[in-house]
Amino acid sequence: MFSGIIYSIAEGLRGLRRARFSTTVSVFTIFLSLIIIAFFLIVIFNVRFIVLQIQSRMELEAFIDASFSEEQIEILKSQIEDLQGIEQVNYISKEKAAEIFREQVGHDIFEILDENPLPASFQIRLKPEYRSAALAKQVFENILSLDGIDEIIYRHDLLVLLEKYMHIFMLIIASLGGLLALSSIILVSNTIKLVIFSRRKIIEIMKLVGATRGFIRRPYIVEGIFQGFFGGGLAALFVYFVLKIVNIEIPDLILIDQRIYWVLVLLGIIFGFMGSIIALRKFLRY
Amino acid sequence: MIEISNVRAKYPGGEGLDMINLSVKPGEFVYLIGPSGAGKSSVLKLIYMDIFPQSGYVKVDGYNSLTIKKRQIPYLRRRLGIIFQDFKLLTDRTVYDNVAFSLHVTNTRRQEIKRRVLRVLAEVGLSHLRSKMSFELSGGEQQRVAIARALVNEPIILLADEITGNLDPASEEEIVDLLEKINAKGTAILMATHDDRLVRGRNRKIVKIIKGRTL
Repeated sequence: MFSGIIYSIAEGLRGLRRARFSTTVSVFTIFLSLIIIAFFLIVIFNVRFIVLQIQSRMELEAFIDASFSEEQIEILKSQIEDLQGIEQVNYISKEKAAEIFREQVGHDIFEILDENPLPASFQIRLKPEYRSAALAKQVFENILSLDGIDEIIYRHDLLVLLEKYMHIFMLIIASLGGLLALSSIILVSNTIKLVIFSRRKIIEIMKLVGATRGFIRRPYIVEGIFQGFFGGGLAALFVYFVLKIVNIEIPDLILIDQRIYWVLVLLGIIFGFMGSIIALRKFLRY
Repeated sequence: MIEISNVRAKYPGGEGLDMINLSVKPGEFVYLIGPSGAGKSSVLKLIYMDIFPQSGYVKVDGYNSLTIKKRQIPYLRRRLGIIFQDFKLLTDRTVYDNVAFSLHVTNTRRQEIKRRVLRVLAEVGLSHLRSKMSFELSGGEQQRVAIARALVNEPIILLADEITGNLDPASEEEIVDLLEKINAKGTAILMATHDDRLVRGRNRKIVKIIKGRTL
């Protein structure tokens, strides 16, 4: 068994050397596809970060019935805190509201009106998993059903819009990424097909002397995996150095999840593996 | 050991087999004789289960064409030695490596490979040529390498498909004599040939095949 695995790896590497040109072509194709996929992943990661930032700043403002006493407000606050999806509740008294008004507008409210019309309110922050349009609406309805809440303001339409565009954006990126992945896999499969064709005589002899299906197929799978590994590794190195240069030129412009380099290598290996499996299914039925 | 019973078989690019009956007992030497296109190679293919009967059955050393699973076929073939007219040697390897190849693919240990290859090369009289590349050899020598490769797995039977077809008359005789020698040590042989001359005076079991039917 052990000598069989060593044989498969040795034959796989020998195959890479034998078909140098086509191996270079498929490694390069995987490399190029993964660079573009890396670009997509970085864009997705950064756009998603921005969307999360916007969502995290989105707060619900619930206005309290003017007739409620301080004790009733305290009870109401704990009722809200007990609801599902609530991260934090801040009480803004009428006086605090007037102070905020002065900070924002630059005038004291009493300079304009005789009395303070601003109602007391709660500023409510949702837990991250509740910051979607559908769940925020649910929380909104739960709070509104509480006795003592007059009105709630929040940017539901903005949330809906954000989610919609994010969805379309993801769909486009995923489709393009999928097409690129497919083209890489097809090219690897083509390279392996050429190798199988050039080695049809040895394969025939292997069959005749009793080599198992797995034994015949393994070197080609190893070959595909190596092609993918090299393509993925090169793409990871390329992306690493490009981002390093960009970050020196314009620091903090791009956010990077460090796992991306491993993802690229892994994707390369998957492309190579899939390519060889497809080639074997088509051209080495045994 | 080998039993082919009432077999009919159709396959792409051939006339097909109409009615084949054949048996080979352990240690037996059987000639399968018939003109080109009569179906001799197909009979051998039935035995190493490269083609399957549409009716009837083939039994080889406990394997039955009716019940064998695809993944068992390599293990059946390890029990057989197959030799062809065109030798089917790997031209980029030495004599030794060609013979060792069939042990490599069956995961045999390196020491064991060496022992068995050297022994079988001595048996076919090629010890002195073991380091030569296979393309440097004469036709007769190449066929001996192919026989050595077929023998190295210690098969129960050698299947020889027109193996003298590419050889001069002197080499032909040598090869048949070598097969006789191998048979004398207990390995059964089924030799397909169109050439009646090879059979004359050898006093062996002969099965004739014409237009896909054994007579």
